[in-house]
Amino acid sequence: MPIHEKSLIRPENLIRNEQLIIDGVDVSGDWSTFIAPRVITDYNEALEPEIAALPGGEHIHRCWQCGSCSNACTVNALNPDFNPRYWIYLIRLGLESELLRDKDIIWQCVSCNKCTHICPRDVDPEGVMKATARWLELKGHTPPSPAMEFDNIFSAQVITTGRIEEGRLLRKFFAHTGQKLTQDWLLGLVRGLVMRMPVGLLLRLGWAGVRAPRTRKWASTQRAIEEFIIEQEAAQRVALGLPPGETR
Amino acid sequence: MNDPVLVLGGGPAGLSAAHALAAAGQNVLLVDKENVLGGAPILSGYAKLVPSGEWAKDAIGGMVDRVRADPRIEVLTGERVMRFDGNPGAFNVALGSGATRAVSAAILCTGFTHFDSVNKPEWGFGTYPDVVTTTQVEQMISSGRGVHCPSDGRKPARVAILLCVGSRDRQIGREWCSKICCTVSSNLAMEIREEIPECSVYIYYMDIRTFGLYEDKYYWESQEKHHVKYIKARIAEVTSNGDRLIVKGEDTLVKRPITIPFDLVVHAIGMDPNVDNMTISAVFDVQLEKHGYLAKASSYSAMCGTSRPGVFTAGAATGPETIDDSIAQGQAAAMAALASLRTGLPQAAE
Repeated sequence: MPIHEKSLIRPENLIRNEQLIIDGVDVSGDWSTFIAPRVITDYNEALEPEIAALPGGEHIHRCWQCGSCSNACTVNALNPDFNPRYWIYLIRLGLESELLRDKDIIWQCVSCNKCTHICPRDVDPEGVMKATARWLELKGHTPPSPAMEFDNIFSAQVITTGRIEEGRLLRKFFAHTGQKLTQDWLLGLVRGLVMRMPVGLLLRLGWAGVRAPRTRKWASTQRAIEEFIIEQEAAQRVALGLPPGETR
Repeated sequence: MNDPVLVLGGGPAGLSAAHALAAAGQNVLLVDKENVLGGAPILSGYAKLVPSGEWAKDAIGGMVDRVRADPRIEVLTGERVMRFDGNPGAFNVALGSGATRAVSAAILCTGFTHFDSVNKPEWGFGTYPDVVTTTQVEQMISSGRGVHCPSDGRKPARVAILLCVGSRDRQIGREWCSKICCTVSSNLAMEIREEIPECSVYIYYMDIRTFGLYEDKYYWESQEKHHVKYIKARIAEVTSNGDRLIVKGEDTLVKRPITIPFDLVVHAIGMDPNVDNMTISAVFDVQLEKHGYLAKASSYSAMCGTSRPGVFTAGAATGPETIDDSIAQGQAAAMAALASLRTGLPQAAE
């Protein structure tokens, strides 16, 4: 197979010899620039239905590869490797190993939804990105992304108390992701709040942060939400061929 | 009363032209070289037609019955025209049987010939029994036998449909798009998925040309409702590993070569000029256009005309055409022939 695109040479296959002299000839430099065998020998037909079973992925089969999503994409403008059109194709064909090569950037979608609004076939590429990131996590290919960690802490708080207390949310999120609370931007924000807010409001804010109030008669709602979430997660895991039991 | 108008060919265009002429009170002599009327849809055993979804034997069969029952239409099947002389309004036809007939005008509705896939040997037709054509899949469906692998009769788990077989290919001198194969293939893909829901159907394409209102009805519907997969690749060769067929090519969107196993490979065959066109051209003294189809006169001034006054044409004789448009052109040719008989040949409008 001749090399017809230099971009197809994969860095992980390169062997670099800084100093190599064979029979008196200097042959230093990059070796193995040949493209390793990369023939597609089969389609994994389970991949598309798995992504389609996750929220946001439902319409992936509509894609006809026009590339409008990648053209419109905010992240693609910064990193050409972030290519929703390409990933949708890989998923539709079931080229899983190829998709996994990009597992560490797929979660970077910023959900600006430019792709959603430009897609002529209503594929909802932003939803597909979300579903794909979720698929990568459920399958254990990637650790939960910071965004997912935040969502988890956010929902856990809502489920327990029926409301959101931003101070605690931030503290927990920072603790969980190993970030310092004394970051400059945060200190600035707090300082600004303290200087500008009415004293009464500040006191209530502080009190809520300490006491963690719950919405009244929340218990039955909490049970219903929890049941629903467990049910949904189990269904998603089963759709991916995973045991239903595990929950976060 | 004029002598009858000769309609040559009893496919959709010819049946339509004959019926239209008779309905306007004109006698017709309908000649077909085959022993049955109906043309390609009947002779090749098409299943459900695009875009009506009606079975060919019902839809085209109905047109045949209507023509057969019409006292103004004389039908000669298994017959050929050997000679055609004279002038507009007064032509003489010599038939293969030796009989001669006087006709006032002629409409050539001589259709097309399906591309013979043997001319693309790299795609395995004629070598592997499980490489078939769209026409054969139509027959599997219309016969009631269902889609299957001819080698052992099993139901395929994975089907590849290769588009542009015998179309858009300079290597074999076919520099035209056959117009309907994309739509027919999408339709067949949906029928396969309906009959065998667990079967995966892949369509290998260069472009998808489901033109006009066929876009959502066939292309989109096949993707969205029936999960047919479209892969942008022109297949290089079809081989076998002794067990299943192996399709080789390059997936141009991922820039990677593919060698994928399939149970059934379907060639979406194109429409060639009728193999008899050289003879038809010589007998009727009409010109062919550069691809070998009958040359059309200007649509703007002489719709359905040929290079010879008094000889008209309609349908796929003039290039790849849909059944519905062939029927429309048959009626238009009937109108052109009638007008020429009543008021003389039209003055050029330009």
